[in-house]
Amino acid sequence: MINNIKKLAKNLSLSELRSGMKITAKELVNTKITVQYPEEKTPISPRFRGLHALRRYPNGEERCIACKLCEAVCPANAITIESEARDDGTRRTTQYDIDLFKCIFCGFCEEACPVDAIVETHIFDYAFESRDGSIMTKDRLLKVGDDNEKAISKAKSEDAKYR
Amino acid sequence: MADIKIEIDGQIVNAKAGETLIAVTDREGISVPRFCYHKKLSTSASCRMCLVDIEGVPKPQTSCSTPVSDGMKIHTQNDKAKASQKAVMEFLLINHPLDCPICDQGGECELQDVAVEYGSDVSRFSEGKRVIAASDIGPLIQTDMTRCIHCTRCVRFGSEIAGMMEMGGTGRGEDLKIEPFLAQGITSELSGNMIDVCPVGALTSKPFRYELRSWQMASVDSIARHDLTGSNIYAQTYKGQVKRVVSGDNEAVNETWISDRDRFSYEGLAHENRLLAPQIKVSGQWKEVEWDVALDFAVKGLNKHVLNNRKAHQLGGLASNTATTEEFYLMQKLLRELGCENLDYRLNINNLEQAIELASNIKLEELESIDYALVIGSNLRLEQPMINHRLRKAQLAGAQISAVNVKAFDYNFKTNHSTVAPQEIATLLAGILKCILEKQSIELPAYLAHVSSGELSLELADKLLNAESSVIVLGEHIVNNAQAAGIAQLVTEIAKRVKGATLNVSMTANALGAQHANFVPTSSGMNANEMLKADMRAFLLLDVYPEYDFHHASSAIEALSKEDVFVVSINSFNNDVIAKYADVLLPMAAMYETSGSHININHDIQSFKAVVQAPEEAKPAWKILKVLADLLELPGFHYENSTQISGELAHQSVHEHNQNSALALNAKSTKIETIWMHSAYHSDVLLRHAKSLSMSKIGQTNIASMSASTAKELSLKEGDYYLGVPVDITSDMADGCVFVSSNQATMGGLQ
Repeated sequence: MINNIKKLAKNLSLSELRSGMKITAKELVNTKITVQYPEEKTPISPRFRGLHALRRYPNGEERCIACKLCEAVCPANAITIESEARDDGTRRTTQYDIDLFKCIFCGFCEEACPVDAIVETHIFDYAFESRDGSIMTKDRLLKVGDDNEKAISKAKSEDAKYR
Repeated sequence: MADIKIEIDGQIVNAKAGETLIAVTDREGISVPRFCYHKKLSTSASCRMCLVDIEGVPKPQTSCSTPVSDGMKIHTQNDKAKASQKAVMEFLLINHPLDCPICDQGGECELQDVAVEYGSDVSRFSEGKRVIAASDIGPLIQTDMTRCIHCTRCVRFGSEIAGMMEMGGTGRGEDLKIEPFLAQGITSELSGNMIDVCPVGALTSKPFRYELRSWQMASVDSIARHDLTGSNIYAQTYKGQVKRVVSGDNEAVNETWISDRDRFSYEGLAHENRLLAPQIKVSGQWKEVEWDVALDFAVKGLNKHVLNNRKAHQLGGLASNTATTEEFYLMQKLLRELGCENLDYRLNINNLEQAIELASNIKLEELESIDYALVIGSNLRLEQPMINHRLRKAQLAGAQISAVNVKAFDYNFKTNHSTVAPQEIATLLAGILKCILEKQSIELPAYLAHVSSGELSLELADKLLNAESSVIVLGEHIVNNAQAAGIAQLVTEIAKRVKGATLNVSMTANALGAQHANFVPTSSGMNANEMLKADMRAFLLLDVYPEYDFHHASSAIEALSKEDVFVVSINSFNNDVIAKYADVLLPMAAMYETSGSHININHDIQSFKAVVQAPEEAKPAWKILKVLADLLELPGFHYENSTQISGELAHQSVHEHNQNSALALNAKSTKIETIWMHSAYHSDVLLRHAKSLSMSKIGQTNIASMSASTAKELSLKEGDYYLGVPVDITSDMADGCVFVSSNQATMGGLQ
């Protein structure tokens, strides 16, 4: 009986409405946190593991030496590498494929790479329209690297002090 | 040696007094890191990696050089041992580059493994590292001496096993360099083993350089079939191709070493001259066809030329000595079912009436404990490297070795060498036998009555008689001697008199398999010589390349190319010569691509599986022969795998050869004798297509050696050519003969 009376008094006083409106009023003047994706993006950690890229040295030489450690460490067997000795006597890849359907973005390839050639960039919003689009070939990987070298080296140097 | 008990890491183990500690830990499965220690090489104790703590000894001791004694208490894992191992590892890594990702040894590197287990995770060394300029030491071994940790395994291998000290250390301390002494690099026929013994990436395989990483390949055990040893090997494959061959362990056969030709012959498999599709010749034009068309063509051709008119005696079967035992068996069964007795594998013998019949009645391991060996007519080091290795061990253990050759060959052990002309070898042996019989007071048989024993005969007879255990080795240079059969009989007789053994290395590859499979004509059939002279209507050839295989190549090619002779040729490689005479070409699987067995000098039947699939349309020869037999409607060819053939083969009795015919020496030849040997890296078809081997010094050999007087007689001088081969006038040669060692085909025309 007494409980019912209490409930009625609370309802009549509109206390819940008032506490709700208090938050509304507060948020009306607070800074907004909604991100207008894709025009706006949330900040990303330098360690973010997105789309892969193959990097080059500043002189344009590709970094990858075809040591195949990434291929060996890849837990999803997503990487396929074929190599040969180039005319200058160094070993280079003739094929470097990453199957993005297989990849689990664990970042082991990046960890294993002794020359920082294969990296995972901050690009995560990509799509493919054909089945073979999932295969990142050497050319595509190098292109991603070339287009994003600035961002990649920035992220690397930011993370360097924690390694 | 007495049994003693020692304690290792709290565990009591049995050992023999005087044994090294590392031998005991290896046997017990206790891991002790090491670099310079190798069970088959002498101890150098230079890397210091195997330090262990021994109770009562103040400093840690190297287990490779410490003999065990009773009651010794050893700790391999306590703090003292671990600290010293870690310190040694740190020292070793001071100058070792951190280039594992571009090093071919990466992933199978002893230094890498030991560094992970015993090393520190960070280096305290920040000074400059030692760098050594790259040097080219030949087409087989790639060097990167910056990686060298000075374990000296390769140096010790060279001086102790290969018997040619080609690698050595120059300089001291920081300046110590391991390098070949001579600019010609490494020329040993066993040089590839240096790659195996090198614990780091300083010496790696050149043909394999940058091909693959070690972990990418599957390793399959197999048997090398280039010589009479049948070395146990591992073929490493990737995506259906043999990428590398490394040695396997078998104390009774090849210990842990293999010859370079066993190691690098795989390169030939991918050669562009491989026969990849069946071909038939229609009105003079070659046409690639399907298997059934080609087989049908072959069967129709054989029917038309020989079988329909019951002329099976005009069909001949010739096979190369590299075929598997199963292939020999199946081919002789096929021919004999057709009623044809004409079959032979002894293609390089000029006169098969003088064919050598000699038993091999000593095992490879027993060769090490003989105390006298007489080697006749063989450059053993290049022709049978592993047999040579065993004899070398015997010599080092104190045995005396005499060599009787036309040329003073470069043996890698101490020999009493005599150069004897081929015409005189039978007389020499008869002289030896006469001396022995006279000393044993046995009545002389008639054929020895007029023999006079020379000084050399007396000396050799004495040595044979004085030896506790002796062996007479008869080599390949004798096969075309005019008195070859007599020589073999004399050898048998001498060995019987001195209770010694004989070793017949006058044939090679799987010749013993051919004999085991009865791949020799019976008295009613024709042998290889007779077939080439007879009026034949058809031939079935198994991997035959007449320009190399036959003693008299041009007449063999002529016989095969005769008008109206139908030739079915099963080959692994194609060339212009075959294309000229053959009518059907059936592509067969080469070594590594077929299953079967090989019989070695120990008479071990060693079977092997196909390591990779034959390329494109090529098929294992036993399958081709089986289907051919089926299409010829012969009974009893229901095989599904080569093991069934081996099973059937095991129940077959081997034909007796007429070994007991009376000894009679043929008249010796009076003209200048030519002994033609293909260079060791051209002895079979796969080897001839192996690129790196052909580029090596042995593979490049192309000389016709003769003495000055022979050259005068032939009116040749230095710079001239003899049968197309550059003349080399040397005092190492006996008079009245020419020794050709060539990488060319014998097209020139031997008599």
